[in-house]
Amino acid sequence: MATGESQQRWHGEDSDVNHLRGRAFEATCLAATAFALVAVLVLLLFVANDAFRPFSADVGWLATYVVTVLVPLAALAVYYYRLDDPAGEVAYVTSGLPVVGLLITGGFAVLFLELLSVFEWFALTLSLAVAGGVVVAHGRVRPNAALERLAVVVLAPVATVFGLPPSEFNWLVTDAASALGLDFGLYYRLSSLRELVLWLPYIPTEWIMLLLSVTVPVAGAAGWFVGERRNDRRDGLVVVGLTLLAAALGLVVGPLLGVGVLGWILLVTFALLPLGVYVEGVVRRGEGTSGLAFPVVAVLGVLAGALVVRYAGFAAPDPWLDWGFLTSVHSRTAADAGIYPAMVGSVMMLIVIVLSTFPVGVGAAIYLEEYAPSSGWGGRFVTLVEINIGNLAGVPSVVYGLLGLALFIRILTWPQGSVIVAGLAVGLLILPIVIISAQEAVRSVPDSFRQASYGMGATRWQTIRQVVLPEAMPGILTGTILALGRAIGETAPLLMIGAAASVRLAPNGFFDTSSMMPRQIYSWSSELEPAFRHGVLAAGVITLLAVLLVMNATAIVIRNRYQRQG
Amino acid sequence: MSTETPGPDITSRPRGRAARERMYRYVLLLCASLSILVTLSIVVLLARDAVTFFTIVDPLAFFGGTEFQINRDQFGLLPLLSGTLIVTVISAAIALPTGVAAAVYLSEYASDRARSILKPGLEILAGIPTVVYGIFALVYVTPFLRAIGIPVNTFNILSASILVGIMIIPMVSSLSEDAMSSVPDSLRQAGYGVGATKYEVTKGIVVPAAASGIFSSFILALSRAIGETMIVVVAAGSRAQMLNLSEPLQNVYEGFQPMTAAMVQINSADSVSQIGFTSMFAIGLTLFAVTFLLNLASNRIAARYREEYE
Repeated sequence: MATGESQQRWHGEDSDVNHLRGRAFEATCLAATAFALVAVLVLLLFVANDAFRPFSADVGWLATYVVTVLVPLAALAVYYYRLDDPAGEVAYVTSGLPVVGLLITGGFAVLFLELLSVFEWFALTLSLAVAGGVVVAHGRVRPNAALERLAVVVLAPVATVFGLPPSEFNWLVTDAASALGLDFGLYYRLSSLRELVLWLPYIPTEWIMLLLSVTVPVAGAAGWFVGERRNDRRDGLVVVGLTLLAAALGLVVGPLLGVGVLGWILLVTFALLPLGVYVEGVVRRGEGTSGLAFPVVAVLGVLAGALVVRYAGFAAPDPWLDWGFLTSVHSRTAADAGIYPAMVGSVMMLIVIVLSTFPVGVGAAIYLEEYAPSSGWGGRFVTLVEINIGNLAGVPSVVYGLLGLALFIRILTWPQGSVIVAGLAVGLLILPIVIISAQEAVRSVPDSFRQASYGMGATRWQTIRQVVLPEAMPGILTGTILALGRAIGETAPLLMIGAAASVRLAPNGFFDTSSMMPRQIYSWSSELEPAFRHGVLAAGVITLLAVLLVMNATAIVIRNRYQRQG
Repeated sequence: MSTETPGPDITSRPRGRAARERMYRYVLLLCASLSILVTLSIVVLLARDAVTFFTIVDPLAFFGGTEFQINRDQFGLLPLLSGTLIVTVISAAIALPTGVAAAVYLSEYASDRARSILKPGLEILAGIPTVVYGIFALVYVTPFLRAIGIPVNTFNILSASILVGIMIIPMVSSLSEDAMSSVPDSLRQAGYGVGATKYEVTKGIVVPAAASGIFSSFILALSRAIGETMIVVVAAGSRAQMLNLSEPLQNVYEGFQPMTAAMVQINSADSVSQIGFTSMFAIGLTLFAVTFLLNLASNRIAARYREEYE
């Protein structure tokens, strides 16, 4: 208007800029960020204190281990953090790999103790290997018979593992055929290769079977991986040879160390082999080698501490969470209570979840990212599916429990609280999470990769299998492991499908009623006795959280390694 | 034409390949459709028993009843809704301001190094199983509340709600931070250009610009709090009672039974009548409908804000 001199008002013109308000705001926001973290950390410290009871030890015991283990490790950690970042990662991985390896070893040990004998495992892997061989052979002989191969891919494992036709479906073939006036002569089911092996009059010694069915495939895969990575077949063969040699050493070393031959073979396969390959790679690259000092210092520190403690006669603490807790069954008295059957139940539930959810989730993600039409009716359907998946991810877990109860127990009449029902109910619960994270992984594969593949004449499926999936696999794995972490802690669905409050025997099959770790923890939480409330319960919580921590750390390592390369 | 010797024909497709391609497509489509099937089966299976329930119990008596006692075949939803309401309100009062403030800090103030520690930290919080939060509430927070002079019962809704609040903070903060980070930098620069301080830019520009994203994170968090089961089952007790409106503060000291906890209790009760059993599905269907609508609303709002800046 006419007021040419009218004051334009500027921020901060009337006074000095008020820094105080901004500072206070920033501090408030920081405090809010820290609030949840600090609160949970404090609670965790309380739980850990209850579980480990460090103050039941002599002061000398604590001081000894602080000096021999904590101080050197803390010094190293500060050094890595400030001066040598790659070494920090090396230290992280070299300390973590044995832990993960030990967990897998433990998983296999539980498998052989509870589910099936080494011999049955051997028969199973052998028949699967033969089925794989048949598929490969078919691909060589008739490379163009795609549909036929599909039938072979499905039927070969069924034939070798279950027999032809499986007893439950015998009527399907014979009765249906006779109704049509055909006669296949299949009145008696053909035995599977697995059963044939089990009938063998002569069976090899257990350690040979374990070597053949566990170590050889794993070492073979590692050897192939190393060979591919370095373009050098010989390196791969060296890996295989050394692994087998180390495993065979178990004949002597295993009994000496008290883990037995079988234990040693598993340890070599799952802990020593990956650690060896990783350490060799670090040394060869010469990057961050000082990180290798971390686990060495840790082990030496523990040994030195143990020596001092024994020599000085300091009393160790009496924790709730100890070997006995991990290996014993539930008991009414707090001192004897353990989590072993529940752990087995959780592991078996995870197996069901992985087998059922992973293929479906990845398949759905591939469809939505690679095939989905973007327009027309198909496009509308896809939009509906995507919205629906987003919504399913927010459905309360207790509703999935209700679904499991209604579908699997009341309609399919599967046994209440069985491992398979628990696995499928929780599997449905994490399915949307798996799909969403797999979608992100598939989406992040650059389009140029696909164009290059199409340019060479590959079909869409070939592109997906050879280019997109391998490229997206680390992301998919990361997402899946995180989702499995969610699955292992879910409790509400377990309550709804009636998982056992506590069982004295670990489940022997997937249709057995079982308890799972969170279910067991929940039933401990309703015990009123202080020894349960502040002892057993805390130990259970720490066990569950430790498993989760290892899973999350593994996922993060995978993500970091491949993000950097990509 | 016929005299040419047929060379390797690289253009022809081997027989069956097209069919196989089609089949993979259909198998994958099947996987994707499974999610629809899951939703449908939730609705159908829950509705099946809920309908049985509603043929016996009048829906009005269910949605308007003030008494919930399965032993006496009293199925009023209002006491359970009271429990759910208290949990939602208290946890929202904790989580919404804290979550947004955390999001502001992470998105606007934090150095890269601080963010690299705080963000994964919050992600880990989101990964802790809820039964563990429940145990925190029952074994550690309730005695703590008593020690500082708050007269709570052994099972009380207050400590459960506090832990539900802490549990949903990461959800609010991470979604809100995404919304704030996607506010274009040009808007901030414009703010600085007219002489605004960082505080003024944050409060006056970033937060309003990200409002719809923040709001959508609120709704999602509320939906989580409504559906949260294990924390309330472990720590909030099993007394289904109405809100005491004459002494509002008294409510939080006592045990309540939200909808989720009631379902668990019905399912684990030793002897429960057929009708009591089906009431579980009626409650479940109500819960599903409420959370589903909230999630849908949240997605709608989030989708709208995405359009604004991309």
